[in-house]
Amino acid sequence: MAEISFPLPDLGEGLIEATVLDWLVSPGDQVERNQPLVELETSKSALELPSPQAGKVIRIHGAPGETINVGEPLVVFEVPDNTAGIVGTVPQDDAPKRRVRLSAVLDED
Amino acid sequence: MSESTTAILEAAAATETQSVKLSMQQALNRALDEILSNDPKTVVFGEDCGQLGGVFRITDGLQAKHGGSRVFDTPLAESGILGMSVGLAMAGFHPIPEVQFDGFAYPAINQIVCQIARMNYRSRGTLPMPITLRVPSFGGIRAPEHHGESLEALFAHVPGLKVVSPSDPHDAYHLLKYAASRPDPVIFMEPKSRYWQKGDVGTSDGGTLTGARVVRPGRHLTLVAWGAMVARCLQVAELAAEDGIDVEVLDLRWLKPIDAEALATSVGKTRRAVVVHEAPLTSGLGAEVAQLITQSCFDTLKAPVERVTGFDVPYPSGDLEDEYIPNIDRILLGIQRVLEYRRG
Repeated sequence: MAEISFPLPDLGEGLIEATVLDWLVSPGDQVERNQPLVELETSKSALELPSPQAGKVIRIHGAPGETINVGEPLVVFEVPDNTAGIVGTVPQDDAPKRRVRLSAVLDED
Repeated sequence: MSESTTAILEAAAATETQSVKLSMQQALNRALDEILSNDPKTVVFGEDCGQLGGVFRITDGLQAKHGGSRVFDTPLAESGILGMSVGLAMAGFHPIPEVQFDGFAYPAINQIVCQIARMNYRSRGTLPMPITLRVPSFGGIRAPEHHGESLEALFAHVPGLKVVSPSDPHDAYHLLKYAASRPDPVIFMEPKSRYWQKGDVGTSDGGTLTGARVVRPGRHLTLVAWGAMVARCLQVAELAAEDGIDVEVLDLRWLKPIDAEALATSVGKTRRAVVVHEAPLTSGLGAEVAQLITQSCFDTLKAPVERVTGFDVPYPSGDLEDEYIPNIDRILLGIQRVLEYRRG
């Protein structure tokens, strides 16, 4: 298993921080990609932040009311070693399937 | 290096085993970690290679361990990544840049072909380019356009470049360390669809890193492949054995220079050959392989060398890639055509 940290992104244009309003997940929760993680408030708006990936939440940073700077850790995920990259999927090694049969008379000269 | 990889390696060291089970991701990560530790002139960089640890986690943990001046992120500009590599190499560094995906190499073709490949020649040997360009390559992960291409023939055609592609974690680890130790530029094509499968990584390279490798011996026919197609050809060889056909699988590994001697030895024995690659057919590396085989084995060949390849179309979107990449049946049909061939 590997740990992946999700730092607070810039939620607007040039915002430097956000305040936690309410956590929608807890440590130990398995989340899917795009599942809402947390309600945040910035100087521009309040919003729900979707998860950038699937994984198990193992740490959350910032209690409701606390302010976090952009770039500081927000959520730490635990993911299996065979997690796909940001693009594409992990190919499965299926049992090989065939329709073609070989037939040959091999002259061993 | 991720904590899990470190734990595996420490466990292996504690029990003094000669090999550890790693995925290709972990094997490449370990190789880069050791290269950075052993050679203070090495720098590793590319899009998302630093803080994120790479989109495929190949550089995971390396910035934290070796510092932001040796492992770092670049802007989204491949021409800049490779152009900077030229300058770093001129200044005595050993750059290991990454182009995040095969299809992103096109904007850097000028830097690769016109500068990196010929600087040593142009400077009469005074400005070598010890650059190892890592390129996650080939298809098979259901990714969008520019994320599944096979550029080996393009690179192999350029004098001054060496091209290599590992097919398993053991070779990935040892070939990357070897490539990084070379004074010449090496294009290191990582088969991204094989990043996650685990295999034994031995501590010894076996002393055979410069040529091809027989991964399965056989008597009747040689399948020549590289990268992700090696694993598929091994599956085909097992299926062919059910029909009484004993197939040898030759992993070419080096695509420039090609190990012509290994081709001659293998096909000299089996007298039949099929070359398999994901790249399109026309002017693909299969043509070069077929010619080398014909040159050395013309008198004993039982049939013309067959090619089973991708099609002469742009690499398709992920939903269609199973129709494009040579599958088991297409490779078996290629074998059947060779087996059926009769002279005259």
